[in-house]
Amino acid sequence: MASSSTPTTISFLSRKNRFRLFGLTLDDCIRTFFGGNALISVVVLALITFFLFKEGAHFFAQNDRNLRIYRQAGLEYVDFIRTQSDDHTALTRSLSDLRVRTLNELTQKQNRPLAEANAALAGFDAFAGQFSDAVDPLRSLVSDLTEQATEIKTKFIVAGDKQEERNQLLAAGKTAEAGRVQIAVINFQEELKPLLATLPAYREANQAFATQLKAVMATAPTLPTPELQGRMDKFKAHTRDYLATFPAVEHKLETWDYLKPVPFWQAFTAFIFGREWLTASFWQDWYGVIPLFVGSLMVSLVALLLAVPLGVGAAIYVNQIASLGEQRFIKPCIEFISAIPSVVLGFFGIAVLGQALRALSQFTWLSWVPGFPFSERLNILTAGCLLALLAVPTIFTLAEDALNNVPRAFKEASFALGANRLQTIIQIIVPASLSGIISAILLGLGRVIGETMVVLLCAGNRIAIPDFTAGLGVVTQPVHTMTGIIAQEMGEVVRGSIHYRALFMVGLVLFFLSLGINYLAQRIVRRYRLSIG
Amino acid sequence: MNAPATAHIFKARPTTARRREKTSFWLFRAATYLVLFCGAAVFATIVVKGSRSVFQAKAPFINTTFFTEAPESLYVFEYQGKKMELGDKAYRAFKAQNPDAATVKTESYVYSAGGIFPCIVGTVLLVVGSMTIALILGVCAAIYLNEYARDGRFIRFIRLAILNLAGVPSIVFGLFGFGLFVLFFDWNVSLLSGWFTLAFMVLPVVITASEESLKSVPKGFREGSLALGATKWQTIRKNVLPYALPGILTSSILGIARVAGETAPIMFTAAYVVRDKLPWDVEKFSDFFFQGVMALPYHIYVVSSKIPQNEYTERVQYGTAFVFLMIVALVATTSIVLRNHLRNRYKW
Repeated sequence: MASSSTPTTISFLSRKNRFRLFGLTLDDCIRTFFGGNALISVVVLALITFFLFKEGAHFFAQNDRNLRIYRQAGLEYVDFIRTQSDDHTALTRSLSDLRVRTLNELTQKQNRPLAEANAALAGFDAFAGQFSDAVDPLRSLVSDLTEQATEIKTKFIVAGDKQEERNQLLAAGKTAEAGRVQIAVINFQEELKPLLATLPAYREANQAFATQLKAVMATAPTLPTPELQGRMDKFKAHTRDYLATFPAVEHKLETWDYLKPVPFWQAFTAFIFGREWLTASFWQDWYGVIPLFVGSLMVSLVALLLAVPLGVGAAIYVNQIASLGEQRFIKPCIEFISAIPSVVLGFFGIAVLGQALRALSQFTWLSWVPGFPFSERLNILTAGCLLALLAVPTIFTLAEDALNNVPRAFKEASFALGANRLQTIIQIIVPASLSGIISAILLGLGRVIGETMVVLLCAGNRIAIPDFTAGLGVVTQPVHTMTGIIAQEMGEVVRGSIHYRALFMVGLVLFFLSLGINYLAQRIVRRYRLSIG
Repeated sequence: MNAPATAHIFKARPTTARRREKTSFWLFRAATYLVLFCGAAVFATIVVKGSRSVFQAKAPFINTTFFTEAPESLYVFEYQGKKMELGDKAYRAFKAQNPDAATVKTESYVYSAGGIFPCIVGTVLLVVGSMTIALILGVCAAIYLNEYARDGRFIRFIRLAILNLAGVPSIVFGLFGFGLFVLFFDWNVSLLSGWFTLAFMVLPVVITASEESLKSVPKGFREGSLALGATKWQTIRKNVLPYALPGILTSSILGIARVAGETAPIMFTAAYVVRDKLPWDVEKFSDFFFQGVMALPYHIYVVSSKIPQNEYTERVQYGTAFVFLMIVALVATTSIVLRNHLRNRYKW
């Protein structure tokens, strides 16, 4: 090294020998090289955006076709009736829930033996049985129609496959074989005729259903306590509302037209606002991101609720209260926690924490806690607790930095005015560093919402919007998340299928969400930073 | 002791404000130690349960098969009144010896016997490759940002990109790597795809760490060198980098912990659930880069979600988690200790 540096210095002094490339000196070249490396992060960000779009963008065209066939094959038509039948099922379920409550009341509060209580409920059971049987004619109609509509859809899909086959043959230059591929042309009007011809039958069934329900409702039993009777009255009101919707359904069926165009924006709104994520179903696939988004949000909220007090509290303690020795011990420890890999935490959740929380929820003296007792060991709460442990180091480190940046003079002035340490912390130091603390929390949110392995292993993976009527108890329900669904389903989907593209769209949503959170955090720091001069 | 009715005049009297102060301080303290306790609890559980499958009572005290073998299926059955637990190879040999063993009711658990050697190898390969790439790119970027660039709109844009890149979820990096390297470049599920995906993910960490240590080299070093007639590049090479390099390396070790710990980015880019061949069993040298590997984090995911929880599978689950946690913890501790050491050594 030393011997080579001497000639370099000499050649540097003589202008003639200076190395040039495209008119650039060596130093310029080096500079450009380093500059190029610095640009890489910009390039990577651009590439991420580009490739997520490239793989995902075609989703909307495919979803548009998916929705169009839903209408043209009459699936939408059948779903009108199906919804009606499903609503009835929901009513039946609430009735059976009511029975359980009444039985509990009789056996536990009034201390009657089980057989006697069941006998007392015989009238109720007869009522419930009649209520649930009333829907039978409608349901059989639905199952007939389902078969017909599925048949039309299958024909259409087969035709699409054949078309694809022909295109591939043509592309391969095999014109003769391509000509031999038979593509059935589907005349939806003809195909839908038998389906639409069932309208009078539907009217009849509906009429019978309505009269039957009304007759059954007249025989509704009275229940022992006012509270239960109140629930019964509510049920009656629901049933009345339900009956009132019948003409609307009939009207929808009458005016339904398979030719009504599906606007293109619906492919977009069906994704962004869709309340169902249903794949590989025999009937109709739905790609709505809302259940996943709500799942991610719920898990993150629980995690932040736990992590913010702990993280910020620990930061305040270490920065303002703890002795030097404690600081030296705590800081590396928390840094160490941040190094625990998320998959190990996820495994811990499956193996230990889920069981422990469920066992905890079974204690009777804890039954006042909303959502307790629960039986699903993997749920929002389990995942949230573990994510909180992941978020605490992030929040702690950034919040501690923010507290550290408050000038000493602030603190000294506060002490000089006679405030004690707590008053100084709460009223001077924390407000002065609030922007930093808030951005720390936001970055913690970004970390939590993008976390994959913990939620994949511990959130329960049930794709449904959690039931918010349970109040705070909603946190003990299983959910699925945006990150989790990508990790789980990406390995199994067919490349280029609508499902595959839908997963890339979810990734895109996640990407922009994290960019948004990041932007907000930076914005807050810059906007609300105290000008310390 | 009969204390005087009134304490010393300057002694602090218990007032409401003081009580409140004390209680709140205890609350803050409780929050801090609760966090430490939770971390310690996770750590202790994994260590205690995992050490059972890693250590043994007999010499050499370490379960060597766990570290040197590939994962196998475990077969559990009762044969002539004895309870047998055999791995795949041993079970086949046993069946060949005792043909009537084939008729005995046997329970099998995948991945529950053998060891995790291929996973350890795969993880090491992934970490070494991706950190090499990330260090080269990251240090060069940091040199530009710290030594060459003048503050301007362009530089602010680059810094913004770095900040944002740091916040991108790891699964999005996985999707990106899948789209770019696996599909577009047609590298398939391979080491190379995994290296680049992980390298880009850890890039912001490396850049920030490198810039930090470049900044800590005093200005006088550069000015002195420039004043003696050295070019910018000579100054950087001879008078800045040698002093910054230890700091860059130690801070980047934390990046290693992150790379080793991530599962989501390698799920679709580099990791195989199971692979019989070891990475160096390749026909051509170039095949080495285009093969998928088994990796510890992905193996933990597989064994904790795809097989049931019971006494037989627990060993491999906790054992793998323990080994993995130990590796990551070792790396993290090294980084923390080295950094503190370095802070004390260089004081300009």
